[in-house]
Amino acid sequence: MRLNIRTLALAVVASLGSAATVIAAGDEPYREHYPQARIDPARGVNGDIGFSDTLPYWRNEEEVERNAKWVGDPNEQWKLNWKFMDLDRIDLHPGHLAVDEGEAMVAKFAKRNPAFFSCLAEGGAKLDGLAAAYPKHDAALGRIVTVESRIEHCAKTVLNEDIRQGTPPNNKIAVYFKSLSAGTPIRVNIGDGKVMEAYRRGEKLFYVKTGQLNFACASCHVPGSIMGHKLRGETPTTPFADAAHYPTYRTPVGALESIQERFARCLGQMRTVQIKPGDPAFVDLEVFMTVLSNGYPVSVPSAR
Amino acid sequence: MKTTSGIVAILLGPVLVLSAGAQAPADYSAYPCLSYTLPCGKIATRKPQTKTLAGALDGNAERGRQIAQARDKGNCLACHVMKGGAQPGTRGPDLSHYGNAGRSDAETYTAIHDMRTRNPETLMPPFGTNEILSDLDIRDIVAFLQASK
Repeated sequence: MRLNIRTLALAVVASLGSAATVIAAGDEPYREHYPQARIDPARGVNGDIGFSDTLPYWRNEEEVERNAKWVGDPNEQWKLNWKFMDLDRIDLHPGHLAVDEGEAMVAKFAKRNPAFFSCLAEGGAKLDGLAAAYPKHDAALGRIVTVESRIEHCAKTVLNEDIRQGTPPNNKIAVYFKSLSAGTPIRVNIGDGKVMEAYRRGEKLFYVKTGQLNFACASCHVPGSIMGHKLRGETPTTPFADAAHYPTYRTPVGALESIQERFARCLGQMRTVQIKPGDPAFVDLEVFMTVLSNGYPVSVPSAR
Repeated sequence: MKTTSGIVAILLGPVLVLSAGAQAPADYSAYPCLSYTLPCGKIATRKPQTKTLAGALDGNAERGRQIAQARDKGNCLACHVMKGGAQPGTRGPDLSHYGNAGRSDAETYTAIHDMRTRNPETLMPPFGTNEILSDLDIRDIVAFLQASK
């Protein structure tokens, strides 16, 4: 009898299990994925070794200088991962002006209410070095915060001003904020469980195919994909260390662009609905991309 | 009255010009997206679809060339070297002598309609299944490819 009950109980559990599986499968629409590359988040930017293997050419300014002969070479330039744009001698572009404008804006707002500055600085007295730890999980807010969403949050709560992510004023303050971490190695805290949850979600988004063209981010930015091959006039590069230089002054666009605005632009090129900066999916993608920049210095202001 | 509408026209003129100049982003809401919340986030990817060429090809090779090169149409040049196209991509096979390969119109049509039916891992967009190109467009591209020797 006892045995029978146990058997029955197991059968019930088993049937519940399979029912749950069916429901979960029914929830998820059919999707295709680009085969996932093995990336160890603990390696940060060094994960590019065994991935695109271009890191040795751009890991620091000395290497970029050494390989500067590739600039303009249609077959080799992609190996520099655009880092030649960050060399010190490329000194005068509107990104630098944006730093000054952002600084003036922060000073103006902080004069109006000093709490704006301490909100940005999370209670501290300085912004120096802070941006290198973004995105981070903010326990008080209960969500992942990017530099841009911190600015939006502080402006709203302290000043009752709308300085929304993906707008020029937000980008200017973000460029200023991040410039105060220029040269500091990026250190997104992968020891934080919430950050890793976001990383895993972002990683999944990176490989899922969407839109009319049925492309994933990975269709162009993973070994074996279009990366390193010509896509008409472009040659897609590695995603490693790419998060380091945003917001960046985009010369083809003639404006500052945050990384999430860049994601939206990519989605447009992929013929996919362009979700908005601040969207949770973009936050997850930014976490994924920035972990792939861990150990690489913040490179703001920049131009691309 | 005439004067009033004239003034209104003068006042509205620049506004109308501006709004016509600002191009609205194309609507891709019928296709899956990355959002966790928007309806497109729940749209299923269209499954691989085998479509057979119906009747004779009857394609226009010159029109096919234009469609293959246009960025907003086939944009085949993004990945393939093709006859008469500048700045070709290099990821896909060179198609500039496709007409010598001995491939039939039917198999070429089916592959362009949805290459996933031949190779599930392909990077090539499912041009027919996802309505990037029409039946006629694909026939014209097949004609162009077969004429590329």
